[in-house]
Formats: sequence, structure tokens, C-alpha cells
Amino acid sequence: MSALAETTGGRIRWVRFSALTLIAAVVLVPLAAVVLLSLQPAFGSSSQGFTFENYVSVFSQTAIGTWLGNSFLVSLVTVVVAIVVAAPAGYVLSRGRGRLVSGYSLGLFVIQSLPVITSVIPLFILFAGLGLVDSLGGIIILYVGGTLSVATWMMAAYFDSIPVTLEEAAWMDGCSVFTGFIRIVLRNSLPGILSTAIFSFLLSWNDYLVAVIFLRSEQNYTLPIGLQTFFQQNQTDWGPVMTVAVVMMVPPILIFALLNRYFSVGGIGGSLAGR
Amino acid sequence: MSRVSSETLRRSLDRARKGVGSSGAGRSPGKSGSRRRGKVAWTLVLFALPSVVLLVLLNAYPVIYAALQSLRNGDLIDPGAFVGLANYATVLQSPDFWRAAGFTLIFTVVGVFGSWAIGLALALLLRPRTPGGGIFKVLLLLPWVVPIVVSAMSWNWLVATPQSPLPMLTKALGLGDTLFLADPTLAQITVCVFKVWISFPFMMMMMSSALASVDVNVYEASRVDGASAWQTFRHITLPMIARSTFISWILMTIFCVNDFPTVFLLTGGGPLQSTQTLVVLAYSTVFQNFQTGPGVAIAFLMTLVLVVISVFLYRRIRKVDVA
Repeated sequence: MSALAETTGGRIRWVRFSALTLIAAVVLVPLAAVVLLSLQPAFGSSSQGFTFENYVSVFSQTAIGTWLGNSFLVSLVTVVVAIVVAAPAGYVLSRGRGRLVSGYSLGLFVIQSLPVITSVIPLFILFAGLGLVDSLGGIIILYVGGTLSVATWMMAAYFDSIPVTLEEAAWMDGCSVFTGFIRIVLRNSLPGILSTAIFSFLLSWNDYLVAVIFLRSEQNYTLPIGLQTFFQQNQTDWGPVMTVAVVMMVPPILIFALLNRYFSVGGIGGSLAGR
Repeated sequence: MSRVSSETLRRSLDRARKGVGSSGAGRSPGKSGSRRRGKVAWTLVLFALPSVVLLVLLNAYPVIYAALQSLRNGDLIDPGAFVGLANYATVLQSPDFWRAAGFTLIFTVVGVFGSWAIGLALALLLRPRTPGGGIFKVLLLLPWVVPIVVSAMSWNWLVATPQSPLPMLTKALGLGDTLFLADPTLAQITVCVFKVWISFPFMMMMMSSALASVDVNVYEASRVDGASAWQTFRHITLPMIARSTFISWILMTIFCVNDFPTVFLLTGGGPLQSTQTLVVLAYSTVFQNFQTGPGVAIAFLMTLVLVVISVFLYRRIRKVDVA
């Protein structure tokens, strides 16, 4: 490549970098504000500059530890159950064919388009009878139901990128569909599984509507409800409120920061093509 | 090597043309004999079973129950008496319903296409190797990653009162007092911008993974043929990501129409109900005015429209051709 072309490439790269920096800066203003406000001294405090006072007071004076634990428990169980149910279902969508599969696929769409608000009322009545209102188990079931359609679609979309020739080779060797699915498809689907897991985690970690209707007692609050209640009690005092907000947004951000590289792993079709 | 990659390309084009679902991603598992095929079919049924059971129990049952409830005049505790379609008549005659329907439409159209355009632009910007590209990817995903309760709170802080940073900024710029959440039109704009801010990362992810599955050899071929960047985008990139685009539109339409917390936590539907969407209206009808019948009727009318749109777009996916 000539020196000229290389310089042009470098300049384009630099322009792209600046554009991204600018966009990211503007987009992140509201989130930066949350962090900065949480580090401000509390009302009537003598300290100057940034301080962790709010963190100390929030952890010692609120039930934030309980909310945090509840949120983790609910989200992790939801993720595991959602993957276990959605992965085989996604395989059916990806590889199966015929009227039944089309119907199932369309059914998922229709179900996904139903507003949560419609199903919440009957489920509330049903769960009240089963003792599942104001219980973490109850909302886990609801989150699994809420995440299932998209989780299935995400798994199916990833399976689509895995060439069926790999399974066919395994079937030739006498593998059953189930074994082929576990050994060939799932094994090569880590990025797909991870992105589905992240989606389910976010849905359950961030949900507000189901939690606000189903959770009643403070020892069962998840973080969104804890934060919202705390916000209503301390509307003018932004420091402590934003501190709880920071605690709530750190886990999803960490997960994304750590698992992001898995997203860059393309389908294994590319590696096949390169051979 | 080039023979293998062009073979892969042909197959992926073929797959993209066919779409997934009834036509399937590859050849059917059961090729050797009908007994084998029957066994395969049973395995697939077992694979789908847990998901079907959960979906019926958690989605289908409540909807049927709610459908019956929309024909009664009860409340949360008492089912009430059968009133036929009276609830629907009440709802369809109420100006609140039509106003909420109008804003839901604006909110959805802006939410879907605004976030798609920005998401696709960023995905294209992020695709080539850029210094710090991985970090940008994470940073730009944050609005979608951060819990809505948190972001609504921070936007509140940013715009809600005349002393908030953004109104102070517009005042300093000589634009006078801008009451972002007190003026009906401005509040509508703010809510829509907030929705786009939350949603564009989702689109960016969808479009990034769609772009990643496009074989780079196609681009080399088009460059050799002397196609401009726009021509390449319009005639190669867009058609090849068309399927993902339709899926992302469908999902985002559903996310927008069904979205409760974005509006509820930022404005509560105000001022003067200007930002009330159908979901928020349904919620307040049921949980604040305790009219289960009309509330569920609103949700049902909304669902009906949504299902029609979904099915329409869903069928479009199948027709997508790599032309």
C-alpha cells in the first residue's frame, strides 16, 4: 500500500475516533451526572470536593443490602431458567420447519406483543391464590415469562449462524439430535448464550412495572422499588438518592464491560470460510 | 480457499433469501428414513414443550381471563356483572383514549426510526477498526444497560425544574425559560428524545451483529466494480441486513407501544395528559381509578393494533429478498 493511502486511512480513522468521542460524551452526560452527584458532600456536611459520605450513610441507614441481594437472586435465577428453556426452543425455530414451527414462531411474536399490563391483573389474582404475591419466586416466574419470547428469538438467531453441516457430520457419526444439539450447537453458541443471558439479566434487574405491583413488603423489595421509594422520601436531597442509583447501575455496567468482547466473536461460519 | 468462501457466501445469501422459520436454516435433520424423521420430530416437540407450557400459563391464560374481564364492570376484587361491549364503547368515545392513542403513535414512530437510524449509523461507524472501538461500544451501550429507574431520575434532575442544568443552559443561550416537562409540546419532545436515548443502543447491537454476518468478500467485489460508498450501502449493506432490520423494527415497535416506565417515571403522563400513552392510561384506569373493565379494554384495543402490525411486519420478513 502506498504512503499516501496510508495517511488518508489514518486521517479517516482519526475523524471517526473524534466523532465517536463527541457522541459518547453527549450521550453519557445524564449518567456522569448520577455518579458526580453521588460523590457530592451531603447536606450540612463540612467536607469539600468529592467524598464517599453518601455511600457510608446509604449503606448504614437504608435496607440497600437487602434490595441488592434480592435483585441479584431474582436476576440470576431468571437468567438460568430462561436459557435452559429458551435454548432448545430456539433450536426448534432455527432448524425445524413446517406448519407447526411457523405457528409457534408467529405465536411467540403475538405473545411478545401483548402488553404486560393486560396479563398482570389476572396473574395477580392467580398468584394471590397460590401465595406468590409479594414473593421473589413469584416475580422470577413472571420475569421468565416476560423474557422467554425474545430469549428464544435471540438463541434462534445465533443458531442460524452455525452451519447445519456441522450437525449433519455428527448425525452421520450416530449422534442423536439431542446430543448433537448439546455437543455441537450449544458448545459453539457461547456468544449467543451470553447475549441472551445479558438480555434476561437486564430485563429482570431493571424491571419496574412487575415489581411495583407484586412486591409489597420492604424485605422483598428489589432495587428499582427500593430506589423509587427512597427517592420519594428524599426528593430534594440528590446525593443519597444518586448513590443508591449508582449501586443499582454498577452490576449491569460491569457485566457489559466484562462480557462485551464475546459479542465481537462472529459466527463460526467465518472460520469455516477461511479454511 | 476462494472456492469455499464463495460457497459459504452463496449459501448464506440463500438462507437470507429464504428466511428462517418454515423454510429453515438448513436441511431438515431427518433425512435417512421416516422412522428417523419421526424421532427427530419428537425431539423437537420436547425441545419446545417447556417454553410452550410457560407461555400458555403466563401469557395465554391471563389474556383470555383479561378478555373476559373487559366484558364486565368489576374491579380488582369483584369480577362484576356482564356488560357486553359497553366498556369498549365507553373507551372509544373518550377523548382521553384518542389523545393517548395519538401520542402512542408519535412516541412509537419516533422511538423506532429515531433509534434505528442512530443505531445503524453508530454500528457502521464502529465496524472498521477504530482506536478504542471496544470501549466506545461499551460506553454507547450504557443508556440501554442502565436501569430505567436510574436514567429517569437523572433526566429528571437534568430537565425537570427551572433550576435544572438544561433549562439554565437554554436560558444562558438567550432562549428564555424552557420548561421541558411543564409545557405539553416540550414534554412530548423530551419523552421521545428520552426514549430514543434509551433505545438506540439496542438497535446498535442488532445492526452490529447483522453487519458482522455480511461477508466482507461482497464489499471487495463491489469495490472492484467501482461502486461508491452510498451505492454499496444502499444496494449491498441494506438488503443484506434487511431481515435483521425488520426484526428490530418489530421488536422496537412492541417495546415502544408496551413501554410503561419511560413515560410513567419521567412525566407520569403529564402535563395535562399530553404524554399519556395507552399503557399509562390503562394503568391509571385500573390501578388509580379502579375501573378494571375499561382499563383492560384499552389494553386490548392496543394489543389488537399491535398484533396486526407485528403480523404484517413478520410476513414482510419472509418476503425479504437479496435483490
